[in-house]
Amino acid sequence: MDFQSVDDVQKRLEQADYIASKEIATVVYIALATDKPILIEGPAGVGKTELAKAVATCLERRVIRLQCYEGLDESKALYEWEYAKQLLYTQMVKERINTVIDDAATLSEAVDKIASQEDAFFSDRFIQPRPLLQAILSPDPVVLLIDEVDKSDPEFEAFLLELLSDFQVTIPEIGTRKPVTIPVVFLTSNNYRDMSDALKRRCIHLYIDYPTPEREMEIVRLKLPTIEEGLLRQIIQAITRIRGLDIKKKPCISESIDWAKALLALNTTELTSETVEETLNVVLKYHQDTKVAKQALAGIVG
Amino acid sequence: MLKILTGFAACCRAFDLRVSTSEVLDAARHLELVDPLDPREFKLAVRANFAKSRRDQSRFDFLFDLFFHGIRTDKDEALTPEIGKITQALRQSLSDDPMEQALVDFLDNEPLAFIDQIHALHTKEERPQKIFKSNMGQLSSKLGVMLQINAIKSKIMALLDQEAHGDLGDALKDHFTERMNRAFALATEEPREHNDALKEKSQAATGENLLKDKPFANLTALEVIEMRAVIEGLVRKLKDQVGRRFAVKNRGVIDIKKTLRNSGKFQGVPLNIAFKNKPPRKSSIVALCDVSGSVWSGARFMLTLLYSLQECFARVKSFVFVADMAEVTELFQDLDINDAIDQALGDDTINRNAPTDYGSSFQQFKHDHMNDLNQKTTLIILGDGRSNYLNPQATILGEMRERCRRIIWLNPEKINTWTTGDSEIASYKTHCHEVRTCMNLNHLTEFIEELVL
Repeated sequence: MDFQSVDDVQKRLEQADYIASKEIATVVYIALATDKPILIEGPAGVGKTELAKAVATCLERRVIRLQCYEGLDESKALYEWEYAKQLLYTQMVKERINTVIDDAATLSEAVDKIASQEDAFFSDRFIQPRPLLQAILSPDPVVLLIDEVDKSDPEFEAFLLELLSDFQVTIPEIGTRKPVTIPVVFLTSNNYRDMSDALKRRCIHLYIDYPTPEREMEIVRLKLPTIEEGLLRQIIQAITRIRGLDIKKKPCISESIDWAKALLALNTTELTSETVEETLNVVLKYHQDTKVAKQALAGIVG
Repeated sequence: MLKILTGFAACCRAFDLRVSTSEVLDAARHLELVDPLDPREFKLAVRANFAKSRRDQSRFDFLFDLFFHGIRTDKDEALTPEIGKITQALRQSLSDDPMEQALVDFLDNEPLAFIDQIHALHTKEERPQKIFKSNMGQLSSKLGVMLQINAIKSKIMALLDQEAHGDLGDALKDHFTERMNRAFALATEEPREHNDALKEKSQAATGENLLKDKPFANLTALEVIEMRAVIEGLVRKLKDQVGRRFAVKNRGVIDIKKTLRNSGKFQGVPLNIAFKNKPPRKSSIVALCDVSGSVWSGARFMLTLLYSLQECFARVKSFVFVADMAEVTELFQDLDINDAIDQALGDDTINRNAPTDYGSSFQQFKHDHMNDLNQKTTLIILGDGRSNYLNPQATILGEMRERCRRIIWLNPEKINTWTTGDSEIASYKTHCHEVRTCMNLNHLTEFIEELVL
C-alpha cells in the first residue's frame, strides 16, 4: 500500500482529488519512506490540511486531527487520568481492602499488602488517550494531523518532541508507551510565530505556495468538471490579479472554487465588470478589501 | 557523495543556517530514495532537510546555487591539472592574510573559509562610535576584500601570460575570471530572508476633518489637549477590558476534575472546591520608542501609549532611544503621565540632539537588555526607521526575533514613503512579524484593540 516512487505519489494523490506539484510529491515520498514527520508551511488556504487528508485517502488510513490553539495542554493533547472513575473504584473496593489486609499480622505487613495493589489505580484502565497517544496506540496505522501548530504555546512544543522523534509517549506514573503502529505525521503552520529549532530538526520541511495559474485551473476543473474553459481562464486570471492587490485577506484556492461555483449557478458565460462587482463578496471577506478591489475593477477584468 | 554533502553542510553552517548532524544523516538517507542525478529532486531532498522554514529558503537557494553550480562546474578534464598548477603557484606568492588564503582555497573548490569570512563581514557588529558617526566600517572592509580579489585576479592573469598553455589558455582565463566574479558578487551581495508571513498594514489617511483622522503631526496646540482627553478615554476602555479578564478569574463553573482530584486527600469528600480559572494571559511586552526629531510630533502619543500599556499589563518594559537607549519603565511607574513623558523627553534621560541611529540603539539593547526577551514577549518598536544612512545592523533585529514571540513595528509614516530617503524599514521588515502605519488616533485605537482583544 505504501508509495513506490515520486511519480506514484503524484498519480495516487491525483486519484484522491489532490493535484500535487513535483515538490510536494517528492517531500511526501521521502518523508513516508523514512518515517519522518512533515512540517508544512504556507499561506492560509493553499491546501496544507487537504494534503494530509489526501495522503490518508491514498493509504486508506484514518485521520486523527489535533487542532492547536493557545492554551492547549497535555491533558487535551496527550492523555488524561479519569479521576471520576478512579474515585468510583476506590469507593467500590473500599470493603474489599479489609479482606486483603485481614490476615496481616502487623501494621507494616498490611501496608505492604496494600502497596502491592496500588498500581491498580494508575494503570491503563484509567487512562484516557487523547489524539497524540491515540495515534501511536491505534492498532491500524493512522495519519496524524497536528493543525496550526504555530498557534500553540511554546511549552506545548516540548510535548511533541518525544512523539516526533521516537513515536513514543512517556507517562510518569506508568512508564513509556511504545508505538503499536507508526503514524504518518503532518504538522501545519501559518507562520504566526517561528517554531523552535528542536521541533524543526525532527521534521522535514515543505513549503506550499499559491499554485501556478495552470495548476489552479486544474484544481478547479477537478472540482467542477462542467465549467467552460474560457470562463475558467478568466476566473483564474482575475484571482491572480486580486492576490496582487493590497488587501487584508488574499483569496485562496477554496475561494476560487466557490467563485466558480457561484458564477456557474448564475449561468455566467463571460466575466464582465458587472458580474465581478456583483459576486465579489464571494472572493473577498472584508468590506475594506471589497472596496479596494472595486476601485481596481478595470485592472482585474481587463 | 557524502563528502560533497558534508562540505555543503559546513558551508551552510558558516552562513548561519543551522544544520545539525542528524539532518545531514537524514538528507543522505533521503538521497538514496530519489534519483540524485535529477538536479530538481536532489535539491528538493536536500532542501527539505537543511532549510526548515520559509525564511531560511532564500539563504539556502543562494548557497546551493553557489556550491553546486558556481564552483562545481564540470569543466574540461584537461583543465583540472592546469588549474591545480596555477593555484599551487599562487599559494607560494601569498602573504599570511587569511582572506587571501581563503580566496585561493575558493579557487581550489574549497569555498568554506571564504564563505565564513564573508558572512562574518556581512553580520559584523559596528563598534560603538561616540563622536563621529559613519557607516564606513562595513563598507571599507568590503572594499578591502574587493581590492584583494582584484589583486589576485591580476596575479593569475600574469601567471597565465608567463607560461604558454596552448589551446587551453583562453579556457583557463574564462574559468578564473568567472570564478573571481563569483567571489566578487558574494562579497557585495547579501541574500535576504523571505518573510511571507509579514503582515503589512498600510492604512490610508481618510481625511482630516475629524480629530481621530488627523495625523499627529498636523495637530494644533488646542487639539493636542483635546486629543489627550480622547486617549484617556481609550486607556480607560483598555483598562476595563483587562480588568474584566482579571475579574472572571475567580468565578465561573466548578472544575469537577480538579475538585475530585483534591478530594482524594480527604477520602473522596470534596472539601477543596476548584473553579475553572481563566487566568489572564501572561504575555509580556517590551517597547522601544524612537523619540528623535523626525518623529517628534508622534513621539508624545507613542509615549502616552507606552504609559497606558504599562498600566494595563503586568509586565511591560519601556525604552526610549535616539542614538543611545534608555529604560523609562520606572519613570512611567512612579510619575504621573504628563510628568513622565516630559521626563522621558527631557535631556536627563537621553541626548535628543544626536542624530538618530537605530543600529547602535539596537546594539546597545542587545548588550544590556537581551535577557528581557523570551518566548512570551511581544516586542513593539515605534519609529520611522530613519537612521541617517548609518549602518542599520538589521542582523541584530534578526537575533531579537529569534528570542521573542512577535515583533511589531509601528511606523508613523505612510507606506509609500517607507522606501524613500534614509528609511531602513525595507531591511528591518524582513525580521518583523508585522509592520503597520500608525499615524492617527484611528490607527492607534485599531492597533490597541487587536493587541488586547
